[in-house]
Amino acid sequence: MKKLIILLILKVLFIKNAFALIEVDITRGNLDPLPIAVSPLHVDIKSENIEGIKIKELGLNISSIVEKNFKATGLFNPLKKEAFVQKPDIAHLKPRFEDWRLIKAQALVTGKLLVKDGKLKVEFRLWDLAAAKEMTALAFTTTPSNWRRVAHIISDKIYERLTGEEGYFDTRIIYVAESGAKNQRVKKLAIMDQDGANTKYLTLGNELVLTPRFNPTSQMVTYMSYFRNMPRVYLLDIETGTQEVVGNFPGMTFAPRFSPDGKKIVMSFAKDGNSDIYTMDLDTRVVERITDHSSIDTSPSFSPDGKFIAFNSDRSGLQQIYVMRSDGSGVKRITFGDGIYGTPVWSPRGDLIAFTKMRKGRFYIGVMRIDGTGERLLTENYYQEAPSWSPNGRVLVFYRETKAGSKGEGFSAKLWSIDITGYNERRLNTETDASDPSWSSLLSK
Amino acid sequence: MILNKNLKNILLVVFATLILSACSTAKKSGNIEGDVYTGKETVKFLASGVPDRIFFATNKSSLTTAARETLRKQATYLRKNKSLNVTIEGHADERGTREYNLALGERRANAAKDYLMTYGISGKRISTISYGKEKPVNPASTPLAWSQNRRSVTVKVN
Amino acid sequence: MIRSLIYSITFHSFIVLLTILSLPFMLREPIDLPPIISVELIQISDKTNISYAPKARKIIEEKKKEEERLVSEQAPPAAKAKEKPDRIPLPNEKKEEKQIVKKKQNPEEIKPQIRQSSEFEKKEIIDTNQIAALIDKAKEEQAVKEKAKQKITQSSQKNSFATGLTLSEEDALRAQIFGCWSVPLGLPYDEDLLVRIKLELKQDGTIMKSEILDHQRMNRPGQKFYKVLAESALRAVRLCQPLKVPPTGYDKWKNIQLNFNPTEMLKG
Repeated sequence: MKKLIILLILKVLFIKNAFALIEVDITRGNLDPLPIAVSPLHVDIKSENIEGIKIKELGLNISSIVEKNFKATGLFNPLKKEAFVQKPDIAHLKPRFEDWRLIKAQALVTGKLLVKDGKLKVEFRLWDLAAAKEMTALAFTTTPSNWRRVAHIISDKIYERLTGEEGYFDTRIIYVAESGAKNQRVKKLAIMDQDGANTKYLTLGNELVLTPRFNPTSQMVTYMSYFRNMPRVYLLDIETGTQEVVGNFPGMTFAPRFSPDGKKIVMSFAKDGNSDIYTMDLDTRVVERITDHSSIDTSPSFSPDGKFIAFNSDRSGLQQIYVMRSDGSGVKRITFGDGIYGTPVWSPRGDLIAFTKMRKGRFYIGVMRIDGTGERLLTENYYQEAPSWSPNGRVLVFYRETKAGSKGEGFSAKLWSIDITGYNERRLNTETDASDPSWSSLLSK
Repeated sequence: MILNKNLKNILLVVFATLILSACSTAKKSGNIEGDVYTGKETVKFLASGVPDRIFFATNKSSLTTAARETLRKQATYLRKNKSLNVTIEGHADERGTREYNLALGERRANAAKDYLMTYGISGKRISTISYGKEKPVNPASTPLAWSQNRRSVTVKVN
Repeated sequence: MIRSLIYSITFHSFIVLLTILSLPFMLREPIDLPPIISVELIQISDKTNISYAPKARKIIEEKKKEEERLVSEQAPPAAKAKEKPDRIPLPNEKKEEKQIVKKKQNPEEIKPQIRQSSEFEKKEIIDTNQIAALIDKAKEEQAVKEKAKQKITQSSQKNSFATGLTLSEEDALRAQIFGCWSVPLGLPYDEDLLVRIKLELKQDGTIMKSEILDHQRMNRPGQKFYKVLAESALRAVRLCQPLKVPPTGYDKWKNIQLNFNPTEMLKG
């Protein structure tokens, strides 16, 4: 105590002689999304016409996609274009910062595009309006039909510059498109852009297909199909459309996922009613048994460094999540909370595991640290499961089913996404009902 | 602390009454015993007096007395019809994750298969397939529907 | 959970009390020491500051609470964000129109919004409490969290009677910057991110010079989050110009340092 007093006195004395620098701690700010103005890209009048694309509206269309992407993050608030104070071409040269600040924008995106010799050339700039300076600028050339991807790439670059984190807009989601009555569902593999555009169906719906998952380069997909009434794991090349059965197993294989290097598939194989986890090397075709237990071991997911596998097992009686080394040694249970845990999925950053939790007739999507601590339940509902991470590890996509009436009416299955903060829950637009989403890596990487 | 104890006691009482009331409703409906469907509504027959399916409790693949009885009838029927092969389809209700349910359906189908085999039916005549939660017989979202969907069904192949 | 909350509340209020009481208390104690006289002389002005401060603080807090309440009553942030762009150029009708259209377009989208807004409201309640907490408390809290306990207590003492700003003046400035600072929401909450900005001010509160004290870190690889935070802090002070500075004592606050620390916010 005395020491402190003396210290204080000394301090005061010292201050008497020279004013100390005033320090003010700012520990709070506003949590509103950042107001950002996305000016339509200026279309060069020398642009050629390309069939099927409205060149004159391309600048506006690209900026609209950027705006939608930003809005969907919950981190940005794209301002209304009606309030914009400067023409796109002039703003792109040098914005009148004061004017943009007047509409409360903090950042501004400008750009221009030119279609020449069948090529689309796009240039954009991101401006810090408060500092009155350019934050980033980029130009690229591509085929005009790729214009949506251009918008997504612009979104990614700006997102990265403003958040310090990689974006996730130039990505796709593969899922199972569902239609028909609940007890006679038709299921097809479908793929779409992250924002719901460009849906393509990869199978015809003749057989039941489930749980598609991308490989790290997003060119291959592994999924489960009941082709010829043999439930097996398949491998599909999206570019060529070729597909094959994975391995030569004498029974059902299911719950496939790629290893982080893309060279192996980890999955469950059910023999005599007992499901264990196996891997198969896609080059050497060597099959390895990873777990050997009389319980159900399934839903395996590699850690991003490939050293561990998380899975769920009912060896304790009810479904719980376990982690083991990728050779099957060192199995350790990590969930002890009250409830049932399933579908562990390792985050791309490696620090979290997303999961489905069932408790008292409700379903939760949550995240926890890889040792099972720090459980955070992000969303609760009647039925939802199968989270998949955005490539930057910030957002989870999953599917949610509604309660059905006595004849199965009112049933629907939709894709939803939520930030790992638990905020910004939103439904993804899909043409049909949808389930089992898997998020691709960044395509432009 | 005392408050806690009181609270615990109250909770216990409430819990007990809930359990009791749950029992009474289950008995009243007459179609679900404990967790297992005992009705006939969805049941088809392989032959006269030979039901095609058995029902399971939530997350379980153990055979109930009723299930064993049904399987014994199936075994007798299969012994009489030596050329007949069957597929046993295992199913789960919709209240679990898809992948786990696939495994659970497989386990149920195999539980039925194993029982048939202990009654002298060759394993070669029986194949199994799991549909997990993919093919509900009753599409409703009710405990009754779920109990009807937790099943394994013996289907004639030829 | 509740027990620890109670502990924390009692502990904090104890600390707050202590800091309020400690100053006069300390003055009394060392009276027998010779150099104290001069100290006492200095303290007189500070003492007045402080004796006013609780009242001023109360008023400010009440005002702040009112403001916050207004905000949350008007509209939850989710909706507010949407209205913002409208607010400047357009009358009310258009706002409503837009919302109606939205409802029609996609009825399912509304649910998450409602949920989100309620989440935000929850947050706001917590925030009000936090704001209501005294400044010193906030500092003590940090001091507990971080290990640099002593340093920060010292700096807090420095703030409370070494600087030329009274607590109410400091509060005013702080509140102003709170309003201008859009915390980058994407930042990881578990990283140690603190940005210190040194400002040189003109007498009217406009900024002559701003300098990020650790600016080399901005361009180091792997420090993207720091850079983002630093830029947001710079934007905040620029948007806030002119800063709300006291009318007198220019040479006391001509140079001022702002420490931006989003950890608490991002955790919440």
